[in-house]
Amino acid sequence: MITLTSSDGQTFDVDEVVAVEMQTIKHMMEDGCAESGIPVPNVTGKILAKVLDFCKKHVETVKAEELKAWNADFIKVDQVTLYDLIMASNYLDCKKLLDLTCQTVADMIKGKSPEDIREIFNIENDFTPEEEEKIRKANQWAFE
Amino acid sequence: MNYFPDEVLEHVFDFLTSHRDRNAVSLVCRSWYKVEKWSRHRVFVGNCYAISPERLIARFPRVRALTLKGKPHFADFNLVPHDWGGFVYPWIQVMAKSNIGLEELRLKRMVVSNESLELLARSFVNFKSLVLVSCEGFTTDGLAAVAANCRFLRELDLQENEVEDRKGQWLSCFPDSCTSLVSLNFACLKGEVNLTALERLVARCPNLMSLRLNRAVPLEALQRILMHAPQLVDLGTGSFDHDPDTQTYRKLISTLQKCKSIRSMSGFLEVGINGVELIQLIRHCRKLQRLWILDCIGDKGLGVVAATCKELQELRVFPSDLLGVGNAAVTEEGLVAVSIGCPKLHSLLYFCQQMTNAALITVAKNCPNFTRFRLCILDPKKPDPVTGQPLDEGFGAIVQSCKGLRRLSLSGLLTDQVFLYIGMYAEHLEMLSIAFAGDSDKGMLYVLNGCKKLRKLEIRDSPFGNVALLTDVGKYETMRSLWMSSCEVTLGGCKVLAKKMPRINVEIINEYDQMEFGFDDDVQKVDKMFLYRTLVGPRKDAPHFVWTL
Repeated sequence: MITLTSSDGQTFDVDEVVAVEMQTIKHMMEDGCAESGIPVPNVTGKILAKVLDFCKKHVETVKAEELKAWNADFIKVDQVTLYDLIMASNYLDCKKLLDLTCQTVADMIKGKSPEDIREIFNIENDFTPEEEEKIRKANQWAFE
Repeated sequence: MNYFPDEVLEHVFDFLTSHRDRNAVSLVCRSWYKVEKWSRHRVFVGNCYAISPERLIARFPRVRALTLKGKPHFADFNLVPHDWGGFVYPWIQVMAKSNIGLEELRLKRMVVSNESLELLARSFVNFKSLVLVSCEGFTTDGLAAVAANCRFLRELDLQENEVEDRKGQWLSCFPDSCTSLVSLNFACLKGEVNLTALERLVARCPNLMSLRLNRAVPLEALQRILMHAPQLVDLGTGSFDHDPDTQTYRKLISTLQKCKSIRSMSGFLEVGINGVELIQLIRHCRKLQRLWILDCIGDKGLGVVAATCKELQELRVFPSDLLGVGNAAVTEEGLVAVSIGCPKLHSLLYFCQQMTNAALITVAKNCPNFTRFRLCILDPKKPDPVTGQPLDEGFGAIVQSCKGLRRLSLSGLLTDQVFLYIGMYAEHLEMLSIAFAGDSDKGMLYVLNGCKKLRKLEIRDSPFGNVALLTDVGKYETMRSLWMSSCEVTLGGCKVLAKKMPRINVEIINEYDQMEFGFDDDVQKVDKMFLYRTLVGPRKDAPHFVWTL
């Protein structure tokens, strides 16, 4: 068992076999830093709980079908939580969760226009009109 | 999303496989453009003359897999002179010089010299996949260079290329250490291959999924090879020479039964196979998703396909007897049978003797999911043999019913009416092939006005002239290309178009010196015109008989 402490002070007792699903934690354990618990300063308790849920489920479950269905349910979260999960899985280096979250974001992008994508993710268009037109033309005329 | 580190953004983009999605992403904002640019590995260039190799690698320096297309589609019907263009050498040269880590190259209708293949084989250490479709300009010596030098080759796929067969030992050039082949297709080669080398190659490549042999591989050899590859998913047989004896045939069937993964078949079924054996063969292939065959299968054979292959998605029936004198052909009956029996059919290429409106209407009702529908009635301008009517209503039913139709080839007797239907209903149509059809400019205008997603339009021997060509010149900047041959457009019309649209290359192919300068431009009809939008102006490699206006 090892103890993880989130950025807002919540502590989580985690089985080692679950903890090693996160490569960052695994390396710290191997380096002998896990004795008095591992701080996870970049991740809030709310998000860390979800990440640990994910890792636990993936360790326990063997059937691919079951995992797939569980994943689909797990990832039904609001956009902010989704972003937080991406950042957390990137920091903690949990490949399966990073794949799932990035795939989910990619699915939000598929088939959309640049304008739609900007709106969904609240991104500002910082191209000049000339730049944008030049790229659009190159995309359409050469690369489609 | 802006606070994501680049590697996270890149990871998200990894899940976007379509070029359109990656293009959309590149336009969101500057940082996305940059991340996308440096992480795009798969690039599709639909017209090699729309952009230059230098600009390609400036935009996508990490390109690993490139698709390039050259000549217009009607080159397949010998309408484009061999040296028109589409040379791949400059592309390979630029990529080699710029240390591009090329791994996959897919070429369609390009001129590929042995020199290009040798340079390719020498320059890209991790090269894995070469797919050549309808290309020309190389010999088996070029293939030998690829086989010998590409240590990690997974795919060598040659489809319908014109290859000079030097009867060398190109297949034997695969070193013993080559065990990585996943796909090997040499069906278009005319010469013999070393059968022992072939058998040994197949035996040492456990991941081989797709194998298409050429005519020179006899039945017994096919059977022996199949014994080594029960994992095959896609099989192309050569020809069965003359009458295979029953014993060999039985052995083949029994071996085929062990290949439980076969989902795609092509080749075979030429003269010599009688109905019984053919039916037996097909009955062992219940799981087929793709079938490419010759029309010797006949309507009866197609009936067997319809009864057996319930998973069929793609069917291509090629003409065996182009002179049209034999009986070995299919009619509307075969197509109707398949439409009833194969509910998943969405892609069709069908060369046939005749077609009726009633049959097309039935097919449209049975198969509303067609995305590609290419019908080629061997006798141009042939009407419905039952009613004597044009086939307007039949094709009209197809476009109305098949709401996802992206590609359509027409044939038979057709008036402007069919184009009215196409303009009205074919909302997603991207490519349209027209031959010997229509009555007036109105036909072409219906299509240009109605089909908003049209990318490629090719027309031959149809009465469309300058009015149709010039009414909406802006349309051509929304399309990849337009081909018109033996129509009514004049040199004057083409010149007007070229002048109005500087970003369009308007090429006139003047093969036999039929056109003369100084002659009245408004009267001189243009035999072959090909126009396309481009970012790089008129090309510099055009032969003397191609004029860019």
